[in-house]
Amino acid sequence: MSYSKENVESIVNNGISRRSFLKGLAASGVLSSFPGGILQANEDLNTKIPYLGEKSYQTFRNACPRNCYDTCSIKTYVKDGVMQFIEGAQESTYTRGGCCVKGNSYVKRVYSARRLKYPMMQVGGKGSGNWKRISWDNAIDIIAKKLLEMKKEDGTLLGAALTKYSGNFGITHYGIEGMFNSIGYTTRLAGTPCWPAGIDAQNLDMGDMWCNDPEEMKDSKFIILWGVNPAANSIHSMKYIYEAKKKGAKVVVIDPVFTEAASKASQYIQIKAGTDGLLALGMAKIIIEAGLHDQKWLDANSKGYKEYKAYLDKEIKLENVSKITGIPLAMIKELALSFAKAKPATIWMGYGMQRHTNGGSMIRAIDAFVAVSGNIGKYAGGARYGHLSTWGFNYAALSMPKPEGSVGYTGPEGAKGDVAQGKDAKSNYTDRFLNINKTARELLNAKEPKVRLLWVACKNVFAQDFDRNQLIRAFQQLDLVVVADQFFNETAKWADIVLPVATQFEEYDVNVSYWHYWLTLNEQAIKPLFEVKSDLEIAAMLSKRMNQLQSGSCTFPQSVDTKAMMAKEFNPGIYEQFGIKSWEELKNGPVKAKAVIPYADGKFKTPSGKFEFYSDKALELFGSALPAYLEVRKPYDKFRMTSPHSRWSLHSQFQNLEWMEDVHPEPYVYINPDDAEAKMVKEGDTVAVFNKQGLLRLKAKLTDNVQAGTLLMYEQWYNNNIYNVNELVDDTSSDMGAFKTGAPGVALHDTFVNFRKL
Amino acid sequence: MQTTSRLNDVKHLRDIFNAQNSKALKVAFDALNSSIEISEEDLEVQFNRYFVGPMEPVADPFASVYLDNPDVVMSQSTLQVRELYETMGFTYPLKNVIPEDHLGVELDAYYQLLYLEEAKEITYLSELRHYFLHEHIHLWVPRFIEKALRESEHDSKAITFILLQLKSLLIRETTTQGVTA
Ligand code: SF4
Repeated sequence: MSYSKENVESIVNNGISRRSFLKGLAASGVLSSFPGGILQANEDLNTKIPYLGEKSYQTFRNACPRNCYDTCSIKTYVKDGVMQFIEGAQESTYTRGGCCVKGNSYVKRVYSARRLKYPMMQVGGKGSGNWKRISWDNAIDIIAKKLLEMKKEDGTLLGAALTKYSGNFGITHYGIEGMFNSIGYTTRLAGTPCWPAGIDAQNLDMGDMWCNDPEEMKDSKFIILWGVNPAANSIHSMKYIYEAKKKGAKVVVIDPVFTEAASKASQYIQIKAGTDGLLALGMAKIIIEAGLHDQKWLDANSKGYKEYKAYLDKEIKLENVSKITGIPLAMIKELALSFAKAKPATIWMGYGMQRHTNGGSMIRAIDAFVAVSGNIGKYAGGARYGHLSTWGFNYAALSMPKPEGSVGYTGPEGAKGDVAQGKDAKSNYTDRFLNINKTARELLNAKEPKVRLLWVACKNVFAQDFDRNQLIRAFQQLDLVVVADQFFNETAKWADIVLPVATQFEEYDVNVSYWHYWLTLNEQAIKPLFEVKSDLEIAAMLSKRMNQLQSGSCTFPQSVDTKAMMAKEFNPGIYEQFGIKSWEELKNGPVKAKAVIPYADGKFKTPSGKFEFYSDKALELFGSALPAYLEVRKPYDKFRMTSPHSRWSLHSQFQNLEWMEDVHPEPYVYINPDDAEAKMVKEGDTVAVFNKQGLLRLKAKLTDNVQAGTLLMYEQWYNNNIYNVNELVDDTSSDMGAFKTGAPGVALHDTFVNFRKL
Repeated sequence: MQTTSRLNDVKHLRDIFNAQNSKALKVAFDALNSSIEISEEDLEVQFNRYFVGPMEPVADPFASVYLDNPDVVMSQSTLQVRELYETMGFTYPLKNVIPEDHLGVELDAYYQLLYLEEAKEITYLSELRHYFLHEHIHLWVPRFIEKALRESEHDSKAITFILLQLKSLLIRETTTQGVTA
């Protein structure tokens, strides 16, 4: 052998021998003799440079930008430019030093071999799998030319559509909408597949969606977790719930499914899906009859209590409540009375409940129950759903003016999504809005002009949207589909161009939560890997090219620095709310908004300024002024199918990582043993789950955590598996959502299926 | 003559794995003197399916995937290679952008080290080259080749050709010429 392993390893790893080796190297003439390639001779060879063991850690502030209650504040440790590990920031009492199983995988996620690395173009047609590398300049040139050609032919840019959702909730990511704003009036897939019916419900009742600080729950005396499973999906909230329980509070979980949270609660109440509103109405009736309602608060702060009470008196029969919800009357009574007697008491409503055809009405009914019990506007009380009260940023990246002379849509304007977007006051035109929850059909049907270009960002259409077969058709008829993402997913498969996008560790941003009250800086911790770019840089490149081709055709800045863009999002209001003077202070760690108790001053942003049991707006928009009982969608097949979130992934994110696949390797359908027996299905059997929409093949797991008559499948994308539970979902709407978010939600949980053994 | 071909083989293979577009790939491929007729585009499409993406490639061209974890780049092995390059006197402009243990980068390092010895008769780094070859490259590249060959033998002459060239280079380097003593 012409080398000694020990010798070389000592040169490389031992500081002293390495230094003397490097001195000899400098003297040997090696450096001037390297032919040069990707690696270059190190002309400033520093014979004192530390070797790896001596290189020290740098730390950075980051946030988890996923669509998750917890929006963790993260501290990232980097050595020699490589992320080593992350931890939850200690400064945030909410994150308190720990992330979840998903967050803890971030190093592996950033350095996953599966990241998209280069811009690429599919040359054999969509779905062919024939991909060529193209340079960024080339990719952007193709897109810019297509946009300008469409504008010339159609006279507008309404043929260009954007679908973007919650893949990254960082504030500067609204720059993706900003990019579309900056080219003219375009088409947007609008609305939210997530929580719209509940947003409308809370806005009708209270004029806002504004939950109490979750950290207060530690002092609640009674907590109902209603259709929410924080033990899996908001693990950082659990410590407050445990603390309350330890101090003697009762914690009740009401859910059709026996969840992880249910297993930790004082009591679990299994309810028939879609009947929660009726239960709340019954509970309100019970406490009013017992004289446990808060008359003083109601007199001072509410509108329409009389009509509401009259409705309860006349229409709500407790025996029916018991029968329809499937809960014994004595249990309902005990629940209502003990809730009313405990002060403060609070209800946390999950997002699943409102994904029914009567979802908005159910949230309204629960709001009303909490109001009757006198727990609105109270510390550690509240009807909790979510909030956007810390989201008052400038939306500088979003707010791009239209180019001079832009022509757009002249139809009616609607609100658009979670964060309201500025309308050009001087203009007669608007963007064209298509319902995000009917993406396939809307893309196919849009006329004058047809949609020809679709840009997909922060979203995996094929995993989240409905009706796969129609989606394929819709994608195929488009001239150009651009998918900007971090991983190659099912949607990218149907793209013409994929653009590799930075993770939050490769760019600056700022993050807040729709649940807790912390503000976190997200710093660039590492260089962008391979050729990935941030969404903002992509927008800037597009602007530069468009302006070269046609001056004035795009108003987006032609070069951006994500740090400067992030800094532009701050304003005095945010500084005041969080008690800081500059965003630079966030380098020391996340900060929390000054404590406010929602509605404690009795001021509601409803038309009457009060809590509205009776809402004229609700009557006008949804046909019922009161939170009256609305029957849920009738079954159209044998079994109800429910598709909650799993603890292992966030929609399609994280599930593709190799080690997640180890713990959670394939999709299952969870079946009640009685139902399974009737179909002669045993644990592990492969079954077909089907309905009028489609068919899925997967393995069965038997569990009485799900009620007889219900099948459960987690909603998520599995790598190398086209499983998407939404293939069984039709796009039937929930009752509300159009008021505040531009389009109704989808009644995902009103899906019915049948199954058989294969 | 033999020296030139030995150096050139490494160089062409390096250029294949570092190509950023169809043209560069085809030029490097043709330089290997294959008799295979294939268009620029077909070659690149096949090459990307095997080694680049965007879909999961047949065989990832990173050492870490074989030595550390099948889903991870920029891990322990990568950083060991980084240390090795630094000790060899290299600087890497793409540090923290493209992992140092990408096959194209490793072939570049190997080519330059070989060049020192063969063309310049400088042997200062010879021991490190042998170490790099036997204690690193040899631990993963054969696995990479086998993984890709298993599939390419059935469907791509061009990819099979590239892999066999790489394989024979590796055999030559690690047996006869590699151990010159
Ligand atoms: S997914 Fe949620 S809980 Fe997990 S790290 Fe991100 S924000 Fe935290």
